Amino acid sequence: MLSQRIIGKLRRYEGWFAAASAVCIATGLYMGLVTSPPDYYQGEVVRIMYVHVPFAQGAMFAYTLLFAGSLWYLWKREPLVDNMCHAAAGVGVFFTTVALVTGSIWAKPTWNTWWTWDPRLVSFAVLLVVLIGYLMLRTFLDDREKEATYAAVLAIVGFVDLPIIHYSVEWWRTLHQPLSISMRGVSIAPGMLVPLTFMSIGLTLLLTYMIMVRTQMIYLQRLLEAKQGRLLSQVQL
Amino acid sequence: MRFFKVIRWIAWKDLLSEIRNRENISSMFFFALIVILIFSFSFSTDPEVIKEVMPGIIWVAFGFTGVIGLGKSFLAEVQNDCLEYFQMAPIPKGAIYLGKFAGNVLFMLAAEMILFPLFILFFNLNVLDKLPQILLILVAATVGLSALGTLFSALTVQIRAREVMFPILLLPLAAPVFIGAVESTRGVFNGDPFTFYSDWIQLLIVYDIIFMVVSFWVFEFILDY
Repeated sequence: MLSQRIIGKLRRYEGWFAAASAVCIATGLYMGLVTSPPDYYQGEVVRIMYVHVPFAQGAMFAYTLLFAGSLWYLWKREPLVDNMCHAAAGVGVFFTTVALVTGSIWAKPTWNTWWTWDPRLVSFAVLLVVLIGYLMLRTFLDDREKEATYAAVLAIVGFVDLPIIHYSVEWWRTLHQPLSISMRGVSIAPGMLVPLTFMSIGLTLLLTYMIMVRTQMIYLQRLLEAKQGRLLSQVQL
Repeated sequence: MRFFKVIRWIAWKDLLSEIRNRENISSMFFFALIVILIFSFSFSTDPEVIKEVMPGIIWVAFGFTGVIGLGKSFLAEVQNDCLEYFQMAPIPKGAIYLGKFAGNVLFMLAAEMILFPLFILFFNLNVLDKLPQILLILVAATVGLSALGTLFSALTVQIRAREVMFPILLLPLAAPVFIGAVESTRGVFNGDPFTFYSDWIQLLIVYDIIFMVVSFWVFEFILDY
């Protein structure tokens, strides 16, 4: 069984990912919180960037993975790929939520508001809603193959829509009022770039590790269900 | 040619059943009417305020109307096991989607055509000389909403908690339709020249094309399971 071999490989190598991500995150946090310089304008507040930006990147990475996996699933119908998509969506919800929450905490001292209708914020909020909708849709279906197909279709439609949502919101805002604070044009000093890179790599590894673990969990869960004969009885119906 | 014949027959069948029982359009119409009434309680009737919030009210009402009408689009097929005949029939699956989609666009437009004069009447809008622009916005936004709504109607029709899942999936992904429609409608009500808001109509048309193509492609996967 190919999928069993892959699951075995995942179990074997997941530890390396966990260890590497722990090392990267520890280094990045130390450099970011202790050795990196405070920002000229924002002071010490800027240090939340080392958490916020990598989490946002991770969320987008998770959704890209979900999209690629969904296309692959519709093409090849490989249940393990569907388990990976399911895992990526769940982990993506976590990363998106953390990115939104840390962003909100960062926005309070810098922009003096918890929330603003900035295009990036709105598209991230929509991303979160779509991912939660994706997970909800999965819980409401009993037939596993149907669940996987429907979920893949939803992921693809949502992924196609996200850039349109982003640009429409950007347009909507810029036509009404120019953005008072923009992230664009802020170049990053080398002293900040190094810890940020460490955190990005570390959190990408953490994301990969979480998806690996979750994929195994979902795979085993499905296997157990099949062995309990629930799938069999569905077929007989 | 067969492809277009299938589209025509499916749209025709939906229209015929709608003409006979008038379920969809009447429920859409009354629902939107109630939404307008409720909104009129929540804002003052100051003409300036009305002008500011009116485009939003119209599109919230039409959006919910779409949720009511589009959500039921595939329900009739399930009740009589017609979905299985769709699956078995040797016809292109994309044509089934386009047929249902055409029917839905017609229903929604019909409901909107009855509602829009009422809006003008209730809120004293002075827009009769801008009818072509308004029609263009109505059609562009309705096509976008129906393209996604028809797909999600097929997606949610066979699952539990259908009534909850349909708006949860549709409304966030239809955000560009609402933004484009509200902004262009505001342009019309403000009396701006057409070029001021033609970008929004372009956005609506781009959205329409993208989602008709994507939905047409993925519909096959939905119907197969």
